[in-house]
Amino acid sequence: MSVGFRAVQWNRAKFVYDGILIAGVALYIGAFIAISAWIDPPEELPDWIDLRLRAFGTCAFLMLTIILSIGPLARLDRRFLPLLYNRRHFGVLTFLVAVVHAWSMVEWFAVQNALPDLVTELTTPSHYARFIGFPFKALGLAALLVLFLLAATSHDFWLFFLTPPVWKGLHMLIYPAYAVLAMHVALGAMQDNRSPLVPILLGSAFAWVAALHLIAGRRERTADRGSALADGWIAVGPPQSIPDKAARIVAAPGGERIAVFRDGGRVGALTNLCAHQNGPLGEGRIIDGCVTCPWHGFQYRLVDGRAPPPFTEVLVTYPVRLRNGIVEVDPRPLPPGTPAAISVDVG
Amino acid sequence: MRRTHRAVHRALWPALAVLVTFGVAMALVLRPPPKVEPPEAVEESQQ
Repeated sequence: MSVGFRAVQWNRAKFVYDGILIAGVALYIGAFIAISAWIDPPEELPDWIDLRLRAFGTCAFLMLTIILSIGPLARLDRRFLPLLYNRRHFGVLTFLVAVVHAWSMVEWFAVQNALPDLVTELTTPSHYARFIGFPFKALGLAALLVLFLLAATSHDFWLFFLTPPVWKGLHMLIYPAYAVLAMHVALGAMQDNRSPLVPILLGSAFAWVAALHLIAGRRERTADRGSALADGWIAVGPPQSIPDKAARIVAAPGGERIAVFRDGGRVGALTNLCAHQNGPLGEGRIIDGCVTCPWHGFQYRLVDGRAPPPFTEVLVTYPVRLRNGIVEVDPRPLPPGTPAAISVDVG
Repeated sequence: MRRTHRAVHRALWPALAVLVTFGVAMALVLRPPPKVEPPEAVEESQQ
């Protein structure tokens, strides 16, 4: 949340997050190189480069596995939400680690004066017609390209420039990129390294990420099934059924979700989409009198969906009524910033 | 996430899971056998 451009909105939480990230990466790479060199000491320069290549490659894959786990874990259990807060820095660091991996591969060929072999491997069309022997490095480069695109557009400038729906759609490219990366490992490292650890670790990582996304997706589908009353309004429930300073989320039939918040004796309905990254506003809480997004803390007034001054974000609101002791919401949105909250008696 | 994103997400992950499972399984099954050092090479190195 900002009233002016700042490259990064640094705060203590981001410093701690990034510090843990960098320390974790350094520890992993250091331990990988030290243990591998102890078990099988490299003799020549290419062996050392190969060791660095494997250290950074496995690190990047592990980081991507963790990144892709954070989203569904946060959907399934709120305790994982803090991991989501600075996930973009995690992604940018993953890209940098992957770049070192790719550079190490080029260097490995270069120190052996074998760069033409690399070019031939990547540019011979007949190689792409094979399954075993497929130029797996091309798969790695494709995934690296996606990581670059996402890292380059990770800043809020691009989020606002592209709009949150387009930005989110673009960043969903990380899913196919992860699949491509799994095949990069399967057709590359798994072919050369006969250790059963490679297929076991690769299969476990992908199965874990895929299972999390499938479970979270299944839960989301249930939440998306909306039903309306005869006059088009949606029944939410008695006012007491909405937790104080929190929300119940309802789905408009075929439309977006609506977050119906209660702040004491006041009930209001806002879109469930935060203006920042379209985060699930209804899973946030009312803090300091404002609806607060659980992802990055963007705040809005319950009464009219406007961010408190000097901030300028505005959300659409929805008409709310109390009929026969039941809170109902009209899924037809009001213009952004329209006051629509009502007072209710919660006993 | 918008409804469209959720719909894409729900359609994409089962497809990715099937494709990668099949791909990794095939890569494992079709993996060429490990290279074995020819015995002549051992004899030569001993001489």
